[in-house]
Amino acid sequence: MKTLTTIAVGFDGSADAKAAVRWAFNLAAQIDAHVVVVHAVGMLGRFEDRDAAKQLEESVRQLSDDCGLDSSRVRLHVANGDACSVLIRVADDPISADLLVVGSRGQGKHPGLLLGSTSLELAEHTTVPLVIVPSL
Amino acid sequence: MLVMNGRYEDAGHEESGHPERPDRITAAIAGVEDLHLGDDLRAVAPHAATRAELARVHEGTYLDELGAFCYAGGGDLDEDTYATYDSWTIAQYAAGGGLAVIEELRRLNDGVGFIATRPPGHHALRDRAMGFCLLNNIAVAAASLTEQGERVLIVDWDVHHGNGTQAIFWDKPDVMYVSTHQSPLFPGSGAAYEIGGMAALGRTINIPLPPGATGDVIRRAIDEVATPAIAEFEPTWVLVSAGFDSHRDDPMADLALTGGDFAALARTVAGFAPGPGRLAIFLEGGYDLAALRTSVASTIAAVLAGAYDDEPPSSGGPGTEMVHYAQAERLVALRIAQEAASKGDYSA
Repeated sequence: MKTLTTIAVGFDGSADAKAAVRWAFNLAAQIDAHVVVVHAVGMLGRFEDRDAAKQLEESVRQLSDDCGLDSSRVRLHVANGDACSVLIRVADDPISADLLVVGSRGQGKHPGLLLGSTSLELAEHTTVPLVIVPSL
Repeated sequence: MLVMNGRYEDAGHEESGHPERPDRITAAIAGVEDLHLGDDLRAVAPHAATRAELARVHEGTYLDELGAFCYAGGGDLDEDTYATYDSWTIAQYAAGGGLAVIEELRRLNDGVGFIATRPPGHHALRDRAMGFCLLNNIAVAAASLTEQGERVLIVDWDVHHGNGTQAIFWDKPDVMYVSTHQSPLFPGSGAAYEIGGMAALGRTINIPLPPGATGDVIRRAIDEVATPAIAEFEPTWVLVSAGFDSHRDDPMADLALTGGDFAALARTVAGFAPGPGRLAIFLEGGYDLAALRTSVASTIAAVLAGAYDDEPPSSGGPGTEMVHYAQAERLVALRIAQEAASKGDYSA
């Protein structure tokens, strides 16, 4: 089995996404892997709070501190596109992830409905192993 | 003569504060009214696309899920895209508008079509809503034409790449998809090396442009990169994904086009149609209402050879080098793919 060196984790700032990031950071700490936190900027990204990028960085830094993961092993990757399309590409350059981690629901999703479920879309289309971290 | 879809009730597809809103159609219609076309304007009855018409480009399970999602009260489909209880019906009318206008153009064998419907369509994939789009309106129309043996050119000048339209026709040799769009920007696709699938090599033409690109750059892109391939393709119909969010005043992105640029683009694109009654213009994006109104008026006036006091065309922005690079990148990709195909390697 291929050694896990790079873990990608989707992050939209939601509580579910934070749970996924914590899970990925804890795993990375155990196996000496790097983590790329992936944030997708959609069409409405233009209308987001101007401080959104700063808040995103701060959230990621706080989470890595909480998990005791050296910040040098964490990178934030911001890409244009919807979350599903962006996360499907994590196996490619420039991320080259060996594993993808996502929360079970992102912002504004509806539990129990197939439509709009990024995690289910990814389960169908991703080319790297996928971990879906349940919300607690 | 301008053939337009009849307006249907679209107020039920709205989310507070969202830029894709009913006022956009009001602004587009005002742009047409500014031309005072009189008897040269013909409105066709609204038509809700049937399941069979939609299923030419969308998966049945997606249509079922979307309908059920709406009737359950709707909500956010992704970070950009919403649906309400009424959205399923409204989206069917949005997709049906193009079909009704095209049917009338065929009957008249004359005129130009303008389809002012919402929600827009060019991001919608076979099995997924995306980027404000629920159903791919222009793809539904193009598929109806190819089923009748037509060869369809789709020109997409929305500021965003029409990833849904590209994906739907990726391997279809009877549709050519040409897009100019800002890059980098949502949805992140639309690189020049995306040239179509093995069954349709070269039928996809992407010309990404940098923020600030002006009308002269887009005209050059169409003239130098797309026009030779379009001439070879010999379309029998021309459809336009007319997104007016590439206007300089639009809040969604950073291209710098004006109404005069849309007029020039529209004249160029109209020249690709083989004769009257073979050009239909579909509204996609456009979120600054004043810019949308004047851009629609300029576009329609240009294709009808009518008079309108356009904003002056823009020039001097960046992007010429990017156009040359796109052309080179496209040609290299084509060559690699053709060599791979000649060796029977379809993985390239």
